[in-house]
Amino acid sequence: MPLQLRRAFMILAVVVVGLAVVWAARFDAMPPAEFRFQNGTDPKTLDPHRATGQPESRLLFNMFSGLLQLLPEGPPDPETGVQPMSPHPALATSYDVSADNKTYTFQLRRDAVWSDGVPITAEDFIWSWTRMLHPETACEYNFQLFSVPYAEEYANSVVEVGDRVEVELWDRPGERQGSEPNYQNFPRGTLRYGTLTEITRPPEPEIPEDANKLARAKIMADWQSQWVYTVDLAAVRDGQPMWDEVTGTRSYCRDLASPMATAETEQTHGVLVAFNKLGGIEAPDPYTFIVHLEDPLPYFPYLATYYPLFPVPRHVIEEHGKPMWTRPENIVSNGPYKVGLRKLRDRVRLVKNETWYDADMVQIESIDAMSIEGQNTALNMYTTGQLDWVTDPPGSLIEELKKRDDCIIAPQLSLYYYELNTARPPLDDVRVRRALAMAIDRDQIVREVTRAGQTPAYRVVPPGIQGYDPPPGMEGSLEDARALLTEAGYPGGRGIPKFTILYNTSEGHRAIAEVIQQQWQNNLNVKVDLQNMEWGSFLDKRQQKRFDISRAGWIADYPDPNTFLDLWLTDGPQNNTNWSNLEFDRLLEEAASESDPEKRMQLLAEAEAIWVDEVPAIPIYFYVGLNIVKPHVKGFFPTPQDIHPFHLLRLEKD
Amino acid sequence: MTEPQPPHGSPSSSDADRSPSQKLPGSPGGVGTGNPMAESPVDPDHVSRGGRGHAETLTRILEESRGVRGVSLWQDAWRRLKRNRPAMVSLVALILLGITAFLTPLLPLQSPLDKDLDHRRFLPPSTEPVVMGSRAGLKFREASLKAELQAFEAEITEARAAAENSADPEERAKALRRIDNRIAVEHPFNQLWNKLGPVSFAMVRARVALFGDYAFPSLFGTDKLGRDLLARVFWGARVSLIVGIVATLVSLLIGVTYGAISGYFGGMVDAAMMRIVDMLYSIPFIFVVIYLVTFLGEEQVKARLESFGIDQITIFYIIIGAIYWLTMSRVVRGQVLSLRQEQFVEAARTVGASSMRIVFRHLVPNVLGIVIVYLTLTIPAVMLFEAFLSFLGLGVSPPDVSWGLLLNDGVEALSSIKLFWWVVVFPGAALAITLFALNFLGDGLRDALDPKMKNRG
Amino acid sequence: MRSLLGFLVRRFGWMLLTLWAVYTVSFILIKLAPGSPFSAERAVTPAIEQQLRARFNLDGPALQQYTDYLWNIFTRGDLGWSLKLEDYSVNQVIAEGFPVSASLAVFALVFAIILGVSAGVISAVYRGTMADLSMMTTAVLGIAIPNFVLASLAILLFVFMIPIFPAAGWGTLRQVALPAFCLGAPVAAYIARLTRAGMLESLNREHVRTAFAKGLSHRTVVLKHVLPGAMLPVVSYLGPATAGVLTGSLVLEKIFALPGMGSHFIYAATQRDTFLATGMVLTYTVLLFTMNTLVDLAYAVIDPRVELE
Repeated sequence: MPLQLRRAFMILAVVVVGLAVVWAARFDAMPPAEFRFQNGTDPKTLDPHRATGQPESRLLFNMFSGLLQLLPEGPPDPETGVQPMSPHPALATSYDVSADNKTYTFQLRRDAVWSDGVPITAEDFIWSWTRMLHPETACEYNFQLFSVPYAEEYANSVVEVGDRVEVELWDRPGERQGSEPNYQNFPRGTLRYGTLTEITRPPEPEIPEDANKLARAKIMADWQSQWVYTVDLAAVRDGQPMWDEVTGTRSYCRDLASPMATAETEQTHGVLVAFNKLGGIEAPDPYTFIVHLEDPLPYFPYLATYYPLFPVPRHVIEEHGKPMWTRPENIVSNGPYKVGLRKLRDRVRLVKNETWYDADMVQIESIDAMSIEGQNTALNMYTTGQLDWVTDPPGSLIEELKKRDDCIIAPQLSLYYYELNTARPPLDDVRVRRALAMAIDRDQIVREVTRAGQTPAYRVVPPGIQGYDPPPGMEGSLEDARALLTEAGYPGGRGIPKFTILYNTSEGHRAIAEVIQQQWQNNLNVKVDLQNMEWGSFLDKRQQKRFDISRAGWIADYPDPNTFLDLWLTDGPQNNTNWSNLEFDRLLEEAASESDPEKRMQLLAEAEAIWVDEVPAIPIYFYVGLNIVKPHVKGFFPTPQDIHPFHLLRLEKD
Repeated sequence: MTEPQPPHGSPSSSDADRSPSQKLPGSPGGVGTGNPMAESPVDPDHVSRGGRGHAETLTRILEESRGVRGVSLWQDAWRRLKRNRPAMVSLVALILLGITAFLTPLLPLQSPLDKDLDHRRFLPPSTEPVVMGSRAGLKFREASLKAELQAFEAEITEARAAAENSADPEERAKALRRIDNRIAVEHPFNQLWNKLGPVSFAMVRARVALFGDYAFPSLFGTDKLGRDLLARVFWGARVSLIVGIVATLVSLLIGVTYGAISGYFGGMVDAAMMRIVDMLYSIPFIFVVIYLVTFLGEEQVKARLESFGIDQITIFYIIIGAIYWLTMSRVVRGQVLSLRQEQFVEAARTVGASSMRIVFRHLVPNVLGIVIVYLTLTIPAVMLFEAFLSFLGLGVSPPDVSWGLLLNDGVEALSSIKLFWWVVVFPGAALAITLFALNFLGDGLRDALDPKMKNRG
Repeated sequence: MRSLLGFLVRRFGWMLLTLWAVYTVSFILIKLAPGSPFSAERAVTPAIEQQLRARFNLDGPALQQYTDYLWNIFTRGDLGWSLKLEDYSVNQVIAEGFPVSASLAVFALVFAIILGVSAGVISAVYRGTMADLSMMTTAVLGIAIPNFVLASLAILLFVFMIPIFPAAGWGTLRQVALPAFCLGAPVAAYIARLTRAGMLESLNREHVRTAFAKGLSHRTVVLKHVLPGAMLPVVSYLGPATAGVLTGSLVLEKIFALPGMGSHFIYAATQRDTFLATGMVLTYTVLLFTMNTLVDLAYAVIDPRVELE
C-alpha cells in the first residue's frame, strides 16, 4: 500500500477512535426521579387490554383510572400487618346495585379528562369494553366480563342464526373490497346492524390425521372465513339499531373467493353478536353507565378496580393504532401519573398528571420504574441508594433481610403449586396423587428453602378471604402415603413409572424441585426427573398438556375464592390438568348464580373440598409478598394482592 | 468467549507466507529423523588449509560429527520444556488433576447431590467429621451407607434368586425388570450419586470396601441446599474437564482436517474454503449456540436424539467444538501452505503418493506441534464458555455438576449483606488454577517448539 | 487507491453473502424450534392464535415467510415487529439498545488496548523482573476467571468496600466504568500476553539490533522500531476480541442492568421472538464483519509486505 495511503489511514484510525470515545462518553444525564423502584422484567406493553403481568400492572394502576379503585379500608390485620383494601369511587362517584345484585348503575364524575384535555364519558366505557372483548384484541383478561350478556359470544366470535349482529364492512382506513386487511381493528370499518338469518357454509374440509394443532387451526380458520352470512339489515336511528325495521337483506363473507359467495356478497371483517347494542352495557347519558350481569357476582366491584376494565383513550387509539398509541409521545392517561419517557429494558418514567381529578393529593412528582431483573443487582442498587423499593429480593439472603426494619413481609393471596397431568399414568390414579401430595414435607421447604415465612398449603384457596370458611385441607402422614401407593399397585414405590417435574428456569423453582425430588425419593422411593425450560416454551408445554408435573403459581385477581376455584373447571382455559369433575363444575355454577353470600361461600367450600379430595394439583405453599422499602417512604403497606397505589405514597424529606 | 489467537502472524487467511516465524522445521520423511549434519559447526579455516591437513580435517570433522547427537524436533522440544519450571509444574498439576478427576468415585468424598436442608445449609469450611449415609432423611439402615449397601444387596440377591426360580419366562423377565427398576431407584449409590456408569459404580463399591463410612469433612463448606462443596468441586471437575477436552478434540478434528485440506490444495479450493471460514468468523456464534441449546432442549427433539443414543451433553460438546475449530483451521492451513513448498512433499509426490496420503501422512504430523499448543489454549476458552452458558441457564442441568454451575451458584451467594465466600472461592480457585496451568503449559510448549530457539535454549 | 476500493467493494459483497447465510440458518433454526411466540399463561383459542399469526405473516408457507422478510429488509430496511415487546418494532429496539452496547464496547476495547499494550511493553522490556512476572500473572487472572465472577468481585470491592462506583444502571460515566473494566479485563490480559510475546520476538530482530547499535535511545528504539512489529498480532486479535466483548456483554448487561442489545437477544431467542432474534443476529454479524474488515485493513497498513486481496 502506498505510503501516503498508509499514513492517511493511521491518522484516520486515531481520529476515529478518538471520536468513538467522545461519542461513547456523551451521556444525556437525566435528572433523577424522586422515587425509584425495581419493576422486574420490562413491561410487555402499556396497553391495558394487552397487559398481563405484575410489572405492567404496577404501571397501569397508576397511569389509568377506572370506575372504582382499591383503597385501604379498615385497620390492618393485627397478626400479619396486611392492610385490607376495598373498592372506592374513582371515575365513578357512586354506584347503585339492584336488588338482585345483577345490575350496577355507575354515576361518573363530570370533571374526568384525559391528560390532553379530552373529557371522559360513559360512551368511553362502552367503547373500551367493546375493544377489550373484541376478538382481534385478544385480551387475556376478557373472561372477567363474561358475566355481561353476549360478552362471551362476542369475544369468541360465536354467532347463531337468529342473533342480532353487527357486521363490520371491509372499509377500515386503507382497505378496499378484495385488498389486504388492515390489522388495526380500531378505528373500525362501517358497522351495519341486523338479524342473522342464515349461514351458508361450504362443505367441511378434511383435516389430515397428522396435522398439528396449528395446521388444524389454520384449516378451520380458513374454512370459517368462507362462510357466507345473510343478514336482514336494521335501520339505525340515533346510533341505536331498530331491529324490527328491516331495510334490506345482504350477504357477507370474509373471503370473497369463497365458493358460497355470490356477486353481491360484500366483504366483511366479521359478523359478531352486537354486544354493545343489546343492552348488556348502557350509557343512557354521558355520565351514567349501567352494567347488567347474568350472575350476581359479589366480587364485581373488585373487577371494576382492575385495569382490563379501565377506559382507554379512543381518540388516541383511533388515530395512531396499536401499538403506536402507547408511545410516550402519543399516550394519554387519566390516572394520577402519565408517562414521561420510556427507555427499553431501562425504565419507564412516570410524571404527575396535573389533569387528574385528585391531582392535589399526589405528592411525588416523578417515579422511575426500573426494569431490573437481577435480584442481587436490585439489592445492590437499593443499598447504594439508587433504588427506594425492591420488589424481588434475593431468596438466598432472606434470613438476613427478614431481620431488617425496611423489609416488609406479609401473606399474599397467591398459591405455589404443582399441576398434575391426570391423563397420564401413574398420575391418573387419585391414590397416587394423594400419596405424592402427602409425602412432601412442606414445612421443610418453607423453613429451609423459601424461608420468608410462607405458609405451607394443603388447600387451594389461601387464607385471609373474609367470609370464607375453608374446608379442612389435605391430611395424611407418610405411612398413609405409602399405604396409598401400595394400594395403587406400587408397593414401596416399586414399579411406578418415572415422571418429570417441569419448571421454568429460575433458581427458586429449581431449588424447590430438587428438594421435592429428594423428598419423594427418600419418603416414597419414587424417582422423578427434573426439566427446566424458559418461560415461553414452558407455557407452551403446559398448555399442550405435554407434561407430567408442572410448577405453577396463581395470584388472586380479586379477593374471593372463585378466582382460585374456577381455574379447575372442565376444559377451562387455565386447566392444564385434564381433570374434570362435573359435581365441582355444578357447584361453581350454582355459586355463581347464588345471591345469598353465606350460601354462596358454602357452595364454594364444598367445591374446594372436592378439589382437596381429588388432588388435580399439589398445593405447596401460599406466597408472601416481599418488599424492601426505604424508611423515608411513607404510605406503603402490604396488601392482599400486593397492590400499592402510588398516589398514597409520601416521601419524608429530612 | 474470545478464541485463542496465534501469537505471531495474522489469522487472516491470505497471508500464509507472510511470517517466517510460523514455520516449524519440516523434516523430510516425517517426524523424528533429524539431519545430523545440519547443525554441526564447520570451521572454514580447517577446510581451507588444503592438502595435507585435508585428511586430518576430515577425520576431525567426522569425529566431531559423531559427537553431535541428532536432535529430533520432539526431543529438543521436550528438553526445553523441562527447563521451563512453570510449564513443568503446570504439566504435573494437570496430570494430577486428570487422575484425580478420573478416580473421584474412588475417593472418600461426601455425596455431591445429597441435600441436608435441616442442618447443613451454608456451613463454612470445617473439619467436623461426617458419616456417609447418616442423614436422617435418607433412612439408611443404621444410618450408615455400608450397612445399607450390604442389606440392600442381600435383598436384591434374594429377589433375583426368587426370580430365577420362577418357571414362566415372561414372569421371570418381568420380575427381573422390576428388580432393575428397584435398583435404579433404591440402590444407595443411586440415591447419593447421579447416573454412575459401570466403571464409576465399581469404583464407588471399592471405595466403600476400602473406607467404609468415612468421608472427608466439609473442608470447602456447604452450599445453600446443604450439599458438600468439596465433593461438588471434584465431581464438577469431571464434567468440566470432559467438556473441555472433548469439545477441544472435536474442534481439533474438524479444524485440522479442514485446514490441512485447504492448505494443501491451495488455489481455488483454498480461496473458497478460507472465504467460508471468514464468513463463519463473522457470525456471532453465541447466538447460534443459544438457538441450538434452546432447540435441543425441546422435549420432542431431545426424545428423538435420545432414541439415537445421543445424550444432551454430547450435543453440547459438538456445538462448542464447532465454534472453536475456525482458528485451528486457519493456523493449520498457514502451516500447511508453507510446508507444501518443502522438498519432501515434492519427493512424496514424485514417488506417486496420492494427495490424501500426502496430506494425512506427511503434512499433518508436522503441524502437530502447533496444534498441540492450540489444544492447551482452547481448553480454557471452552471451559470459560461452559461457565458462561451456565450463567445464562443453558449449561448442564442439575443434578449434574460442573464448575460453571458451581460458579453460578457461588456468585449468587456473594452479596453486600452476607458473604458466603466459600461457595465461590473454592470452585473459582479450582477453575483458575486449572486454567493457569493450561496457559502456562501452552506458553511453555510454544516456547519449546519455537524453531528459532532450537538448539540454543 | 484503486486496490483499496476494490478491496472494500469485494468485502461488502462478502458481507451481503454472509448476512444471507446467517439469515437462512437463523430462519431454519427458528422454524424448526417447536413452540409458538404467542404462548400466554391463559390458553389462546386457536382461532385467535391463527389471526395473530396472520397479522405477523407467520402463517404462510415457510418459503413465503422467508422471502417476504428478506424483501422487507431490502426494500424498507424493516426488520419487523417484536412479538414480545409489543409496543416496539425491531428497528427501534436495536436503535435504542445499540448505542449502549456500542459505548460499552468502545470503552472496554480502548481500555483493554491501552492497558494491555502498556503492560505487555513493560513486561517485555523489563523481562524476567518482578514487574514482568506480576504483570503476566495478573494477565492470566484475566483469562482464568469468568467475567461474571470478576464482575461480582469487582462490585463487592469497588461498590461496597470502597464506594467509588454506583452498583448498576446506565447513564453516567461512573456507571460505565465497572462494566467496561470487567468486559475489557480478559481482552486486556490477552493483549498483554500477545504484546509481550510479539515484543520479545521483535527485540531479537536484526533491525532492532542495528538500531541499538546506531546509538538511538532505548525508548525510541522500543517505541518506533520494536512496537510496530509487535502490534501485528494484537491488531489481528481485535477481530475476535470484538466478538468476545459482544458475547461478554450478554452477561454483564444482566449483572449491571444495562439496557443494551445483549439482554434483548437472550430473551428473543428463548422466547421465540422471531423477528427480534433475527434482527439482532444480523446486526451483530454486520458489526463483526465490519470489525474484521477493519482489522484486515489495519494489518495491511501496518505490515507493508501485505497486499490487500
